Amino acid sequence: MASRQPPGAYGIMSEKVVFWYGCNVVRHGDIIHGSIEILRAIGLEVAPVGGPSYCCGTSKDANLRAADGMAKRTVGKFNDLAIWLAEDAPAVPGLLSSPDPATAPATVVTWCPSCHRHMNQFMEGYTDPQFPMSHFTQIVHAGRERLRERLVHPVNRRVVLHRHFGFREVDVNPLVEDLLRLIPGLELVETDVAVPGHMCSALVSVPAALKDVTRGVCNLAREVRADAVVTVFHSCQRLLCALEGSEPFHVVNYVSLLCEAMGLPLVDEYKSWKLAGSEAAVLDRIGAGRVEKLGEAFVREQLLPELLRAPAK
Amino acid sequence: MDSLRTYLDHFVADTLDRCTRCGKCYEACPMTSYAPALAGVSPPSVVEGLLPLLRGGQGTDEAVAWVKICTQSSRCTEACPEGINAMLMVRVARMGALGSLGGEAQMQATEDPLFFRKIEAFAATQLTAEEIEQWHRASPRERTAS
Repeated sequence: MASRQPPGAYGIMSEKVVFWYGCNVVRHGDIIHGSIEILRAIGLEVAPVGGPSYCCGTSKDANLRAADGMAKRTVGKFNDLAIWLAEDAPAVPGLLSSPDPATAPATVVTWCPSCHRHMNQFMEGYTDPQFPMSHFTQIVHAGRERLRERLVHPVNRRVVLHRHFGFREVDVNPLVEDLLRLIPGLELVETDVAVPGHMCSALVSVPAALKDVTRGVCNLAREVRADAVVTVFHSCQRLLCALEGSEPFHVVNYVSLLCEAMGLPLVDEYKSWKLAGSEAAVLDRIGAGRVEKLGEAFVREQLLPELLRAPAK
Repeated sequence: MDSLRTYLDHFVADTLDRCTRCGKCYEACPMTSYAPALAGVSPPSVVEGLLPLLRGGQGTDEAVAWVKICTQSSRCTEACPEGINAMLMVRVARMGALGSLGGEAQMQATEDPLFFRKIEAFAATQLTAEEIEQWHRASPRERTAS
């Protein structure tokens, strides 16, 4: 990102939220930082949390004791954090709806559909969450008139949204399409095409399906002459971004487009690694300092295979 | 309810009570063509073969094949005339097939043992040390306001 805005830069009273971005999105710091900027632009004071110590446990279906413990730990942290934020400085009534927003615990804003689903399907059933929860798209959509004021830089692209139909808890596609329509200069191609799963990572265990979806993305983009495919979720961005190396379109997350229109261009560094083309080029782009910090053997053995893997189509 | 297992037990009991084995959930699944073992099967029989997995029992080969290709598309839940969260039903069946509910495993877990280490590694490339300390490690009351 070119330059992050200092607290208070957007000049509006803040309500407090916890922004729970999850685990796998850390490959895309651009999405995390951009999402925080967007939340702040609509008047929210953001306490970001994520990574393994806030894992929901959704990946632990083979170990229910671990899943149980992770869920309880994470809900407990959210209970503490949401109440602490409210005590620290009461929230300002406005954007968020709750019975008494001046004293209520802060809302937990989810990013990852797997975390959101796991909280809805499991965690709420046997833990004691003391906070309201909304998805990022719902919160930003609710604040879209505030956001519109910030979207002043034209983004002259013809884009098509990569849509999944599996995230039934939140109908994200029309919400994101509405947000894209706020961007000056952006031409959104309307489509009904939607693919299985709540996001592309759900398809990884069925390689033939992921291959079909990837090929379908390419065909759709060519058919509608889009110069960019817009992803909603991080795993779609992760698994599709390297198509730029062989296809005549870009792959960008909608957060990047919103931030670009706010005058805060994001750099998708993960995509640059995926497009580097060789081990040496990837290592060069990561940089010697970071490779040394992570351990070169670990980077070569554990990270490079993922970064050198091209999307099958 | 104070544990995941208790919660699952209630969900399973309710599901088994309400499921009529009509097979509508299977019919609505967009993924079945990706499992050769499911060619020509009877939808009610696949569901009938899946239900024992919810109790940690053995499922049929066809049921396990269905569980393996679930991508959480949720069409099954929308199709259930009894209002069962069929997507959750298939996920709990997957837990059963993985051996998590006490029975013999009928499929291998695909979890990456280095999953969290990779998360930490990518985080170290994308977030500052201060962000990692505040956003990942600090307890809620140790955080400084951002």
